[in-house]
Amino acid sequence: MMPDKVPHDLAEKAAAMREFGRLRAAGLPIPVELRARHVWATNDGYATGPDPGQRIPEFALPDQSGAVRTLSDLAGPNGLLLVFHRSAGW
Amino acid sequence: MELEQSRSLLEENGVRIAAVSYDSQEILGAFAKKHAIGFPLLSDGGSETIRRFGIFNFNMSPELRAYGVPHPVEYLVAPDGTVVRKYFVANYQHRVSGAAVALREFGTANPDAPAVTLKSGALAVRIGFPSAKAFAGQEVAFFAEFALQPEWHTYGTPLPPGYTATSIAFESPSVVSQYLELPPPQMLHIPILGETLPIYTGSFQGLGTLLLKHPLPDGKLILPGRIEFQQCSDTVCEPPQVLRFKLELTLEPFVVAEPRK
Repeated sequence: MMPDKVPHDLAEKAAAMREFGRLRAAGLPIPVELRARHVWATNDGYATGPDPGQRIPEFALPDQSGAVRTLSDLAGPNGLLLVFHRSAGW
Repeated sequence: MELEQSRSLLEENGVRIAAVSYDSQEILGAFAKKHAIGFPLLSDGGSETIRRFGIFNFNMSPELRAYGVPHPVEYLVAPDGTVVRKYFVANYQHRVSGAAVALREFGTANPDAPAVTLKSGALAVRIGFPSAKAFAGQEVAFFAEFALQPEWHTYGTPLPPGYTATSIAFESPSVVSQYLELPPPQMLHIPILGETLPIYTGSFQGLGTLLLKHPLPDGKLILPGRIEFQQCSDTVCEPPQVLRFKLELTLEPFVVAEPRK
């Protein structure tokens, strides 16, 4: 399990995300430099979790209907595509 | 939503879909209803499961709405919980689509998938997308099926000067970046030249991805491109050739997410 990291420059990263989001929401072109800075701001130090061959952690999470789901009831005969994403609410 | 559009492609191959975010069950319910989502959206309030997977995004300042999000990883998990494949693109602007996963894992595409076949001499190439629909900013998969007549070959990489490798390039300002993955070539040793060359023979398939620009207007997007190759037999090499093609995608709107201002 990875220890909690305390990365530097959170304010700088937040500023890059705000600027990027502002331009994108306005439909304006995004300068290459800002695009690169946004990639850095959102992906710095990224980790991707368990590798092929490793087991995923066990989980039990409620779905949109309130039913608690685990891997065994989610997976099809050839498995499950488990997608982690930002948010459905933005 | 692209995952919902590609769900049948995966389910007919025995793979189901589930998505995880930090949203509440209420928010997920509203989203599922609005977008007619037919697969489970799992609520990981507080991001506890996200942390246990080791993919918590530590770049988000605590006051941001984005605090608590994961890095956008996708896992193809076997029924016993083992990771079969991991999909991740280090850029929040796009993610690996369900259609790309279906294409890479099972070689399947939608019936409406746009494709075109080009022929020249001993080579035939069928190039296309697994689905006609895409979103601005999406990483779109494409496939290229090559078929060579017997005794003819084309080249892979790396090559000495004077030979042309097999490549595909989309030529559109709407494409930010692209990458084509070809299978490992066979090595052909030519004693008389003292060279060993990477070659392709028979039928082989390439899988590529291209990143669409964001923003782009909704509606039809024409993507021209070219295929470059050089076909040679045991006795003769043709000059390098360029075949041009055009493929069409239909861009649809997607939910734009951005950090709180």
